[in-house]
Amino acid sequence: MKSFVLTSRRILFEDEEQLFDSFVSRGWTDGLPVVPPTEERVRAMLLGARWYSPSDIVAIEPVKGRAITVEHVSINAVMAGCLPEYLPVVIASFEAMCEPEFNLHAVTASTMGSAVLTVVNGPIIGRIGLNSGVSVFGPGNRANATIGRAIRLVIMNVTGARPGELDKATIGHPGKYSWCMAEAEQISPWDPLHVELGELEGSSTVTVFPGLSPIPVASSESEPEIILSEFIDAMFAAGVEQDEVIVVLSPELISHFKIARWSKRQVQQFLYDECQRGYRDEKTRAVSSPGAVRILVAGGSAGGFGMVIPLWGRGSSNSKSVTKPIRVD
Amino acid sequence: MSIKPKIEVLTPVFEDISESNMVSPRPNSLNKIKLGLLANGKQNSQELLEMIHEVLEDKYEFSSVVVRNKGNASRPCPSYILEELANQCDVVVTASGD
Repeated sequence: MKSFVLTSRRILFEDEEQLFDSFVSRGWTDGLPVVPPTEERVRAMLLGARWYSPSDIVAIEPVKGRAITVEHVSINAVMAGCLPEYLPVVIASFEAMCEPEFNLHAVTASTMGSAVLTVVNGPIIGRIGLNSGVSVFGPGNRANATIGRAIRLVIMNVTGARPGELDKATIGHPGKYSWCMAEAEQISPWDPLHVELGELEGSSTVTVFPGLSPIPVASSESEPEIILSEFIDAMFAAGVEQDEVIVVLSPELISHFKIARWSKRQVQQFLYDECQRGYRDEKTRAVSSPGAVRILVAGGSAGGFGMVIPLWGRGSSNSKSVTKPIRVD
Repeated sequence: MSIKPKIEVLTPVFEDISESNMVSPRPNSLNKIKLGLLANGKQNSQELLEMIHEVLEDKYEFSSVVVRNKGNASRPCPSYILEELANQCDVVVTASGD
């Protein structure tokens, strides 16, 4: 680390209750208690990415021009309850979200109310204990819960997208508390998401998506065509001709594709071909191409369930997912 | 009696507000000023601005009026429109819609 000077303003509180009350009233939390970001804790957090200086700029939010520093991210990661080894994931997430094509300002300000879904791939999943299995979108795993929460706290505190201020979501999204997952690469018979997107096998990455509400799909069938037919209605939830939409497949569903020796490309092609609506020659498709279907393998071993997660902007030029490598040394 | 230790923490927010992020000085009067009207591209945003313009014109006399629509509500306002408004206007009213 080049230097270790922390420049953030200090505030003194009588006790943790006063601190929490003050943070809530200032809009500095998501409403839940936070770990007090003392200098000692922030310094310990910074050791999780010791190759950076606190003043290093992670990214500049393109619309407001705000520079997000490693120190900003570390303070909010402490508040969220992160361990230091999670910090590189949060940093990489902001490198991804601040690319202009992600359109972070609109994604976080929109009345439609999307949440940032952070998908982690690669060896870092095992190293920091991210959950890709049972209740992958549920509570109980520290890495998933606190990385997703740290991302939201930075969005609120550093980019200024607080509910009612810059965040104008009409109804909102529960994923705005926290929404981070790992892909179950060990279960999947296919290339994981990041390899499909051109990253090196064996690399660790984050991919950020502006996720709308997930729609569950159930199937107790075993033939791939019948299983995938169950997804058709959900594929249209956010409209037609989508350039990106996520389809999550659980291990039980995946087992049927393995037995039938279906490739990921076959799944994508089937959904592209079959997700059509209209009358006679006037037909529209749910997705604009087979590759627009982003397959993610995740979930517990029991249950023939999947999910469709449509995206804010539908993968158009209004917002596209972005993948970035996670620097780990 | 022991003194209870206090807790010192670091602020988690962005506080480095540069000049370009500050709110411009407010004019004392809207009379004789150069007015800008910027619709954000949402449905009805243009109509809303037109109504606001009518209401304002009943009260004030503007030296010029620049009307622009950024077109796509989901994308940031193109920089050439922002520069145009910044260079040509004293006050800009912007409107969303739905």
